[in-house]
Amino acid sequence: MNPVVTGIGFITPIGNDRAGVEASLRQGRHGFESVQLLGNPDLPVKVAGTVKGFSVDTPNWRDWSWPAEYNVPKETLRGLAPHGLYAICAVDQALASAGLSDKDVAEDPSTGLYCASAGSAMLLHHNLAQVRAVGGVRGNPMGVVSSISGTLNFNLAARYRITGTVCGFVSACASSSHALGYAIDDIRLGRLKRAIIVGAEEVNADSLLPFAHMRALSRQSDPGIASRPFDTGRDGFVGAGGATVLIIEAPDAAKARGAPVLAVTAGWGQAADGFSVAAPHPEGSGLLMAMQRALADAKVGPDKVAHVSAHATSTPVGDKAEAVAIGRLFGAKGLRPPVAATKGLTGHGLSMAGSMQAAFCVLSIAGGFIPGNPHLKDPDPECADLELPRETVANRPHLVLSNSCGFGGSNVSHVLASPGTIPS
Amino acid sequence: MEDPHRAPTNPALAKFPSAVLEAFERYRATGDTNAVHEVVLAAVEDYAPPGQPSSTPLTDGTRLIEDLGYDSVAVAELVFFLEDVFDVTISNEDILRVRTLGELRTCVSQRLASRPSA
Repeated sequence: MNPVVTGIGFITPIGNDRAGVEASLRQGRHGFESVQLLGNPDLPVKVAGTVKGFSVDTPNWRDWSWPAEYNVPKETLRGLAPHGLYAICAVDQALASAGLSDKDVAEDPSTGLYCASAGSAMLLHHNLAQVRAVGGVRGNPMGVVSSISGTLNFNLAARYRITGTVCGFVSACASSSHALGYAIDDIRLGRLKRAIIVGAEEVNADSLLPFAHMRALSRQSDPGIASRPFDTGRDGFVGAGGATVLIIEAPDAAKARGAPVLAVTAGWGQAADGFSVAAPHPEGSGLLMAMQRALADAKVGPDKVAHVSAHATSTPVGDKAEAVAIGRLFGAKGLRPPVAATKGLTGHGLSMAGSMQAAFCVLSIAGGFIPGNPHLKDPDPECADLELPRETVANRPHLVLSNSCGFGGSNVSHVLASPGTIPS
Repeated sequence: MEDPHRAPTNPALAKFPSAVLEAFERYRATGDTNAVHEVVLAAVEDYAPPGQPSSTPLTDGTRLIEDLGYDSVAVAELVFFLEDVFDVTISNEDILRVRTLGELRTCVSQRLASRPSA
């Protein structure tokens, strides 16, 4: 019994609702802006995938603002990080798109919550600086729940009164793909009927600069070319923030309430590189196995895959490793499914990346299109095995493979399908 | 008690009504205990959980937990906020003794009175 996707919600650099995101994907419109971090124009980080319509630059929730259509009371704000605010807005959207209200999920033991974020480095730093400034004698009582990496699950569980499952995932840039995978399993096992999957991250100096110090970020100042997955000129990723949410349900539960079915979560797989704390295996060995396991779980062969949503972040080594893995899975059989690297438009949402890609795949399946790679000018010869359309392809992909890779060599792949493609 | 190097307006109170800011400035200028009480009252109202009757005016006898619906975390948040605003430290022992608005006002005033002058 494969779960079905009945709701999606977006607060992303390329749009803050389904229609806006789909339009950006179709039109190849990026969500990057020039940024100056810490007021220092000499820093090498010049571009970010920013979140529009929110002001959450200070650690004090009383200073924040957000789109007026979302009701976020102050008793909720007190324990929130900025990305928690994004997440609540995206959950509200996703519930509405699934035809659900807060009351439908509140205190329902068959509804679970699966979250992924790295926490709030900004709030953690601010709160501990406050503690140190007074010799440790006092600190913000909400400092822990607003800043550590479980902050999403703590806050959203209380906000939506979730009583089924509440858990969080910390496999870096594979985190929200893990969240989706384990939510799928819990529904398949009959433990739950419905799951809310949330990936969210902040985009600010505290979230971005540590990656610059790893030499992982692009140094480009031109927002139009900074993120160029699979391009010869790529020089690192562009950081992004926001929140993306999927609602998945057991098919019988969705049918019983007449819910919209946008896509089917047909299978997933994971495997690790066993290679490096941060770098991918150069042959993409873990990712290849994750893709093979996902397809095996969905009981389909590579020939059925109509589109691959690549993890590709625009780093020199990461994109190459993924290209090798995709090439070994498909090229060996003479297959070239169109590959889209949507981080060329959004930037890299880190823990949010997997849920954002999965939700983009849902849009592709439901909307009948495959995003292009508009920033690709000079394809890296080492990625020659990949079919990389520049423009949007106006075909409905009935079966999509979505990849995520995280630090420590953690790899996750998901298979999403249009309803009726695979028996549920 | 006045510290000439402090900012004229406490940033922690920046989003509060002007009357609360004025009360804080009055306290800073004169040490007026009533002004302290005004700020404490505003903080208690701000941190009170939702759903409590708002028509009843708060008195010194109003109990934080039983009457206003505070829980232990909300009390801790309120106390931290007041510590931040007035730059004082209130011990756990003091917090545990505070049950009413009046006791909280007294607690804050005592901490301010016992603070070394700048």
